[in-house]
Amino acid sequence: MMKKTLKRKIPKLIGLLLTIFSFIIIFTPILVIIVLSVNASTKGYSWEGFTLKWYVELFQNDVMKEPIINTLVIAFSSTIIATVLGTIFAIGINALEKKKRVQMMVINNVPVVNPDIVTGISLMIVFSLLSFTLGYYTVLIAHVFFSIPYVVLSVMPRLKKLDPNLYEAGLDLGCSRISGIFRVIIPNISTGILSGALMAFTMSIDDFIITYFTSGAEYMNVSTWLYATLSRGRSFTPAAYAYNIIIFAVTIAIILFVNLKRDRKEKTV
Amino acid sequence: MGKKLIIMSHVSKRFGDQLVLDDFNLYINENEFITLLGPSGCGKTTCLRILGGFETCDEGTIEFDGKIINDLEPNQREINTCFQKYALFPHLNVFDNIAFGLKIKKLDKETIHERVMNILTMVKLTGYENRAVSTLSGGQQQRVAIARALINRPKVLLLDEPLAALDLKLRQEMQYELKEMQRELGITFIYVTHDQEEALTMSDTIVVMNQGKILQIGTPEDIYNEPNSRFVANFIGESNILSGVMKDDYLVEFCGHEFECVDKGFKKNERVDVIIRPEDFDFVPPSKGKIVGTVDSLIFRGVHYEINIMIAGVEYTIHTTKYRKIGDRVGLSVEPNNIHIIKHIDHA
Amino acid sequence: MRRLRPYSLPYLLWMGVFILIPTLILIVLGFSNLQLYNLGVFEITLVNFTIFIQDQVVSALWNSLVYSIITTVICFIIGYPVAYYLSTLSDKKRKILLAMMIVPLWSNMLLRIIAWEKLFMPTSIISDLFGISFDLLGTPTGVLIGMVAMYLPFMVFPIFSVLEKMDYKLIEAAKDLGASDLQTFVKVTFPLSSGGVISGVIMTMLPAMTSFVLPARIGLGKINLIGNIIESKFMKEVLGSSGASINQGALISLLLMVLSVISFVLITRVDKEGETLI
Repeated sequence: MMKKTLKRKIPKLIGLLLTIFSFIIIFTPILVIIVLSVNASTKGYSWEGFTLKWYVELFQNDVMKEPIINTLVIAFSSTIIATVLGTIFAIGINALEKKKRVQMMVINNVPVVNPDIVTGISLMIVFSLLSFTLGYYTVLIAHVFFSIPYVVLSVMPRLKKLDPNLYEAGLDLGCSRISGIFRVIIPNISTGILSGALMAFTMSIDDFIITYFTSGAEYMNVSTWLYATLSRGRSFTPAAYAYNIIIFAVTIAIILFVNLKRDRKEKTV
Repeated sequence: MGKKLIIMSHVSKRFGDQLVLDDFNLYINENEFITLLGPSGCGKTTCLRILGGFETCDEGTIEFDGKIINDLEPNQREINTCFQKYALFPHLNVFDNIAFGLKIKKLDKETIHERVMNILTMVKLTGYENRAVSTLSGGQQQRVAIARALINRPKVLLLDEPLAALDLKLRQEMQYELKEMQRELGITFIYVTHDQEEALTMSDTIVVMNQGKILQIGTPEDIYNEPNSRFVANFIGESNILSGVMKDDYLVEFCGHEFECVDKGFKKNERVDVIIRPEDFDFVPPSKGKIVGTVDSLIFRGVHYEINIMIAGVEYTIHTTKYRKIGDRVGLSVEPNNIHIIKHIDHA
Repeated sequence: MRRLRPYSLPYLLWMGVFILIPTLILIVLGFSNLQLYNLGVFEITLVNFTIFIQDQVVSALWNSLVYSIITTVICFIIGYPVAYYLSTLSDKKRKILLAMMIVPLWSNMLLRIIAWEKLFMPTSIISDLFGISFDLLGTPTGVLIGMVAMYLPFMVFPIFSVLEKMDYKLIEAAKDLGASDLQTFVKVTFPLSSGGVISGVIMTMLPAMTSFVLPARIGLGKINLIGNIIESKFMKEVLGSSGASINQGALISLLLMVLSVISFVLITRVDKEGETLI
């Protein structure tokens, strides 16, 4: 008996240890960023005492102001556009017969599986072919492009769970084609839409590679600004850590809030 | 029975290369309870969906109250549907589900409230208005679905296998209630089912379908007593189908004997199929019966025994309340009006 | 539902513009002397293939292969048990731990790399506070640690999502039929989770292979991967003298695309609609 329970416990113990190890290495950089964001040192080689000055500087430093605004503007606008389009496309794809639906999902997943660098170069080529000047609009299109598949992927399971007669019941009871979507489909897939939007937002706000290839020399978000700063070794400020921690905290807060609200809603139903 | 409300003429529909409805012709009267009956995949649901406006037909016309409605959207038709598995809106409670159609019509709040409360009484769900639909039992969901459709006061209610998900007892109860409802409201019910018993119990008219075609239209009695084909005979109730030869008008030969019957109009010596329902046989002493055989097996069915009898290598099924032992020799008789004769069709 | 189908059509057009067209252009670029900013005449040529004999490119290709494979193997060895362990936990614990694994991804990728860089310096906060110096900058170990930390969650998620959905009764059935714990795992659990494993391997390997900031920063530019070559061909050498850099970059990108396509075929075999991808 002893031996058997021990034999059972060993795999579980290994799982536990590896899980702990995973969390350590995944969280190490986050901890380092937190520490550096409150460290008085500019270079970050040594601990020079606790400070909040980088958080203050974040709102005063003009160098970072523009990339931050760009990042937020792109994140919000691309999230809204990608969520709307992705939801519409998902509704259309879900209505297709099975074979075509699978084909469309395969196409949908191309940007998800493709390495970002390939997506970035592809977009850059299209933009140069269309002679678009690289900047806000090209970055916006690029972010919408890579976000839509994630919106589709998170809306799809919800749509699949819907009784296909539901939309028709709406039409039967007097809805037009469009109002049927709003009155019947959207309320029932709203959690999927929301998680798609959150995913799009978090991907956009942290994107580096695709922005890098589609933004040109002038337009920068925080990531491309950081990259330029690092490679040219100029004007780096620990305020960047502070920015990251703030965005990080806000994201966690939003997602916690959404999840709590959803849990409560599901409980009351 | 009233005037013709719906006329479907030469309606055809294909999905890909599969012909689902094949030159379908049917008229439906006002206030009629009509049932489309057939095995799954026979096109009955498609027919209903075309009437509801969810599918368009490839050929033919659908006339409603004198107007052709082929191109009308579902929301422009005075027809409502009670969907398979109900399709209740999961995000709305009972009240809002039922009020859905009225809210779209933008009726005022008091009217909506009054009408919803009235219909809740009719479907016996008073007090359930604030419940989430997911907390209702199958039977209750069914009632909400009916209420949701009927509150819009349609001229026609389409019902797609509405009772399929309910257990036997509840199903029988609902059959009765649906029939009552239809009588009281005086509107047309078009009912789709694959359950022949349901069809026989509820319908004014039954349309038997197979492979996109109508095989027979008639009252339940007609369909049951005078099936016009092997398929109908087999699908509606159990049947003994024997091959025979028509000797003359009102005289048929099968099992090596001639029997009086009530059919005429066949050619002399034409090969025919003879259909006899299992409950239409009577036992007689072996010496007096034209058909004599041995009891092969016996199953107790509750109301009756189902007895299989071997007669000259052919197995006959008989439903009777009289008990016979396996191995008993029995004679069988059958009344002339219980012998149904149909044209013989070769089956592969 | 049928009438909602047209809503999927613009998506097909959109994907055509952003996937099909650039792929075709990349093919033309790779096999010709076409100039992207001068779409006039061009000649089909194989001259771009000469980059594959450049030492720098050969070593980058080799490095990409080695680093991505090692990273993937380590991620798998750690990630599978973790995913399995998580899937055995109670609903609540599972939710929290999974969320905790996603959370770090919301932190800027570049800053996470910078964090490793600062940590691996000969003199770092750690050496200042605790007297331990990692001094791993510019070493393969440093790059590998960075990669594993970066891509491990992408191995765990798909495997977890398959294991989580797996019908526990199947495991009970296997045991009922006489299989030991190990046999159950080898014959039932693992084969059933293979879809997640394939997704996980691909979602780890492709990004690792194409990363370019991480090797540049933590590897101090000493360890170049294929991504670094592509970056330099498309972003840095463009303004330089030889106009052929984009064509060469295109050729390397095509190589990556072939890998993507192979991955894609594998994924669609096991998971047609991409349910393990998020």
